[in-house]
Amino acid sequence: MQTAVANANEIHGHDTHHGADHAHHELSFIRKYIFSTDHKVIAKQFMAVSLFFLFVGGLFALMIRWQIAYPGSAIPLIGNILPNSWVSDGAVTANFYTQLLTLHGTVMIFYVIIPLAVGMFGNFCIPLMIGTDDMALPRLNMFSFWLVPPAGLIMLSGFFYDSGTAAAGWTGYPPLGPTSGPGQTTWLVSLFMIGFSSIMGGTNYMATVLNKRAKGLQLFQMPLTVWALFITAILITLGTPVLAAAIAMQICDQYLHTGFFMPDNLLVTAPDNTYVTNAFIAQGNQLLEHKQLLGGGGQPILWQHLFWFYSHPAVYIMILPGMGIVSDVLSTFARKPIYGYKAMIFAIMAIAFLGFIVWGHHMFQSGMNPLLGTTFMLSTILIAVPSAIKVFNWLGTIWKGNIRFTAANMNALAFIATFIIGGLSGVFMASAPVDIYIHDTYFIVAHIHYVLFGGALFAIFAGIYYWFPKMYGKMLNENLGRKHFYWSFVFFNLTFYPMHILGVGGHMRRIYNPYIYEFLQPLQPMNQFVTFAAIILGFSQLILVVNILWSLKYGKAAPRNPWQSNSIEWSAPAHPGHGNFDTDIVVYRGPYEYSVPGRESDFYPQTEPPSENEVPVHSGH
Amino acid sequence: MNFDLSKGLEWAYRDMLTFFPENVSTFGAQLDSIFALIYWFSVATFFLTYGLLVIFMVKYRYNEHRKAYYFHGNNLMEFTWTLLPTIFFVGLGLWSDGAWSKTKYASRVPKPDVEIDVLGYQSGFGWQFRYAGPDGVFGNKDREQITIANPFGIDSNDIHGKDDFVIISPGGSRPIPIHLPVNKNILVNLSSNDVLHSFFLPNFRVKQDALPGQWIKVWFNGSKIGTYELACAELCGSGHYNMRGQVFIDSQADYDKWLDEQYKISKPVLEAPVLSDTTIVASADTKDSKTTKN
Repeated sequence: MQTAVANANEIHGHDTHHGADHAHHELSFIRKYIFSTDHKVIAKQFMAVSLFFLFVGGLFALMIRWQIAYPGSAIPLIGNILPNSWVSDGAVTANFYTQLLTLHGTVMIFYVIIPLAVGMFGNFCIPLMIGTDDMALPRLNMFSFWLVPPAGLIMLSGFFYDSGTAAAGWTGYPPLGPTSGPGQTTWLVSLFMIGFSSIMGGTNYMATVLNKRAKGLQLFQMPLTVWALFITAILITLGTPVLAAAIAMQICDQYLHTGFFMPDNLLVTAPDNTYVTNAFIAQGNQLLEHKQLLGGGGQPILWQHLFWFYSHPAVYIMILPGMGIVSDVLSTFARKPIYGYKAMIFAIMAIAFLGFIVWGHHMFQSGMNPLLGTTFMLSTILIAVPSAIKVFNWLGTIWKGNIRFTAANMNALAFIATFIIGGLSGVFMASAPVDIYIHDTYFIVAHIHYVLFGGALFAIFAGIYYWFPKMYGKMLNENLGRKHFYWSFVFFNLTFYPMHILGVGGHMRRIYNPYIYEFLQPLQPMNQFVTFAAIILGFSQLILVVNILWSLKYGKAAPRNPWQSNSIEWSAPAHPGHGNFDTDIVVYRGPYEYSVPGRESDFYPQTEPPSENEVPVHSGH
Repeated sequence: MNFDLSKGLEWAYRDMLTFFPENVSTFGAQLDSIFALIYWFSVATFFLTYGLLVIFMVKYRYNEHRKAYYFHGNNLMEFTWTLLPTIFFVGLGLWSDGAWSKTKYASRVPKPDVEIDVLGYQSGFGWQFRYAGPDGVFGNKDREQITIANPFGIDSNDIHGKDDFVIISPGGSRPIPIHLPVNKNILVNLSSNDVLHSFFLPNFRVKQDALPGQWIKVWFNGSKIGTYELACAELCGSGHYNMRGQVFIDSQADYDKWLDEQYKISKPVLEAPVLSDTTIVASADTKDSKTTKN
């Protein structure tokens, strides 16, 4: 271990030198801002692209919500300008509706939350927080970003097919997926590309954390953000290749007529009568044509196993970085060491490990052997334990603190609040017999949004408010930040809490017109309430954009350490250039030495040398 | 574009549990009680954690004359809040498993009084139901004989299949209802010939995906006479929302009468005129599948 650390320092020392050399000659505009290898520029690129997609995905959500609240009535403002293949008389068609719900899920997960949580914060935080000049593999890092814009364009391009884009849900279950036309192919290809972007990022983060830590920085002195991103990187590297393989198999089923997921003797109707995999092409009860194609002999459930083997850990890929960010923000603004630092790390590890053996809980009702349901139920329920440990430790952190209510901290506290509800609602569906009824209802929709919007996105907001000064050298406007927080938090809860009740009422997901069903008709007023709350929630996100744009131009110049924080990134210049640090970084202690007794100031930066007559402080106890 | 605010306010005070549709199945009450247990546990945890959160936020808000408590944590506390949730959650898991195995394990399906076959279908979006006919015995199913006209693949060589009849219920607001007797164990053999569907009977707390290529046993026992809705809960295409079905739970006498009538008005599947293409298709397919099998 000792040699490894020494070795790492050697590499680090060499790289700093190298970086300083680079700073002398000017990079061209393209190398500096577009095809940049600087981790901070790449982080900003991830941020810009993902925030764009946040609004795209949000727009899809609002169109979905409008249809559920007022089925068949024209969407206000935009309904009549949309093309006729998408809307009829201004109201979305059933076909377009399924495309919208598919793309809403896919875009929000793969183009918003993962690139923001992992791409943006992974890139920005890891090198700065471990006190190094850049990623271990900067060029790979650049490639990992530059797969995202083309993947995003391919994803959106599906809308321009006559038959529309993918419409098999964000889960793309076969046989619906492979038989639903060329839109599904753009979806698969796009996901394949963004998966590779993730894998490149993940390997890079692991290499960086293990090899490039500043002198004196031990693994158990890293901030929890870095720990969370490090473990997330391991999840990505182990999980994403499985998704990539599954995607390749579905493409093969579609075009090479292999039989991975397609059973024999299907009677499938395809929208354009082209991509029917085996046996029959039919319309209504009329047999149109018989195509002798290969394929068959497959098992639709295989896709579900492979897909969820990635996509369940993906839930943790989305929320673990948020948990790390929240821990750091909370400790900084409570002016107090994080409660149970090592317990927090072991809880992250436990969540990551359990995350790989619980995927079957998405498949309780799929026709998988119910005996497996029992196994997956027990492992799933156990995941509540490390989650509970984390919540109690966060509460312990603010206990007897001195809490500053900055916009960043309010978002971090909101994360805890929503994560508690999201965690508790997860217990319901973890119990397999309870899941029988609530599976594929709005209860699940409420849960996933509490965890991913309430959890991951609020943590991302916290991170943006917290690190924006270091990213852009300007302070964000706190006043607008608080407004954005209040509107988001209130209308987030008004949007998603009632969905639990809709779910208990039996309201299925992905339903174009719920009121076909008599038992759902009384729920229409609640759906309308949710829709209005969602519209306000959507528009309140514009405050964030206004704040970012306004602050970039008129914001106060940021000091080096605006939050009096301990971690290493705040020792860098206010707006660090290529190479990050202007001094040699040596680390003397962990990142959570706030309010140390006997010190004048209430913080103690990791890089500040101990004074001569000082008794060394133990971290931990 | 009506919006009833008063209803929303009234709902805000209603307990979430009161939104469940009426339970009319024998095992439904047990599932609902596990839901209720987790619900009350969640309410308690919610007030505990939110209480602490709010108290700490107010009591320890920023004051420049005060310094935060320098404290890194306590292992006994960590141990406590690891152990207590573990005990609760393992207990919950074990209790849940009793209900789970009772409702889902194939080995624990009770002896059926009535057995039907059900298919979800995508071309038009609806359900197909097959009853055994007067002899009370289903004909064999043969996947290689599946055609548009014979979606269940009833084996033409099996005498028991000759009287089987099929009800095709399109979705939407006017489905063709099926009838089942009250207080009897109903066994549904569920499958699909196209994509995934999910057989969802909200009032019976029954949900099971229909999986092409596999027959899955679903059972329930309806305890109240009435009309109930059947829904599809797995995305199956743009008409997914429209896969509404209707189930009448009848007294045994009414059910027998209905069954008799249905048999008389239905055309036996195997004697229905077959599309000329279908024969070719079936034979071509048989050949193909056999090659795959070998």
